[in-house]
Amino acid sequence: MAASDEELTALVVATRNSAAFGELVRRHQTLVRSMLQRMCRNHALADDLAQDTFIRAFEKIGSFKGTGSFKSWLCSIAYTEFLKSARKRKSADRLLEQYQQGVEESEAPRDMGNVVDLDRALATLKDEERVAVVMCYSCGMSHSEAAEATGMPLGTVKSHVNRGRAKLQAFFTEAEVTVR
Amino acid sequence: MTMEDAFDARLKAAFAAAAKPLEEDKSADAFAQSVIAKLNNPDRKRVLILGGAGSTGSAIAGTQLESIFGGLQVPTEGLLANASFLMAPETMAAAAMAIAAGMVALVLPRRIA
Repeated sequence: MAASDEELTALVVATRNSAAFGELVRRHQTLVRSMLQRMCRNHALADDLAQDTFIRAFEKIGSFKGTGSFKSWLCSIAYTEFLKSARKRKSADRLLEQYQQGVEESEAPRDMGNVVDLDRALATLKDEERVAVVMCYSCGMSHSEAAEATGMPLGTVKSHVNRGRAKLQAFFTEAEVTVR
Repeated sequence: MTMEDAFDARLKAAFAAAAKPLEEDKSADAFAQSVIAKLNNPDRKRVLILGGAGSTGSAIAGTQLESIFGGLQVPTEGLLANASFLMAPETMAAAAMAIAAGMVALVLPRRIA
């Protein structure tokens, strides 16, 4: 039987076992990378941030108390890395502007119409709404887990999710009407 | 299924489809390996810069040690007096160098926030 996240975490804390940590990376890399890709809409930057997230997680794994899920703890680190990256570019608005200049202009078009649509739709949301929607729909986190990971009050997360969801629904409905 | 449920399901499916390429074995393994490689081999450039700066600082401090310890007024009583009997100036210099090297070793593994 495969070891649980908590067992692997305990092993890493006790022995700094990089193979055990590698297993945790393998299990959660999709979650963290897709979350960051949807948040910052730049695949290369998202992968760099995801790498920093796991390295930071390894360094401070002793602070994981096991009260919440490992997934939420990891997502909160990823969110912090995302915010730090945004701050490095002086202001989140400037960063967002940069990200919103076309979808992955620097990358070759992928064979995934849905992904491009999704990224375009997410671009219509405010930063906080996008973060909340991505955490709840992409990472499968509950509202309270998302609140814990972002440090936002639960009510705020709920309203960001609802508003973001309504905007996405409006975007897709409009897109469908245009196609017809 | 309500309209809301249907849209939620559709949204979740879209996010899942977007994450699918990241679930492929090659992509997942390559990413995990790159993280582990980075953990096993910390940034060499950083080690070289900090190590170089630390060594230069230690070397400069080392040249000053003679003048510092040469003019030292050794007290005749107390803990320092006992220490000065036990330790020759060379030993004190070596201890100072060891402290400097220790400080470098302490700083090296830390990542810049």
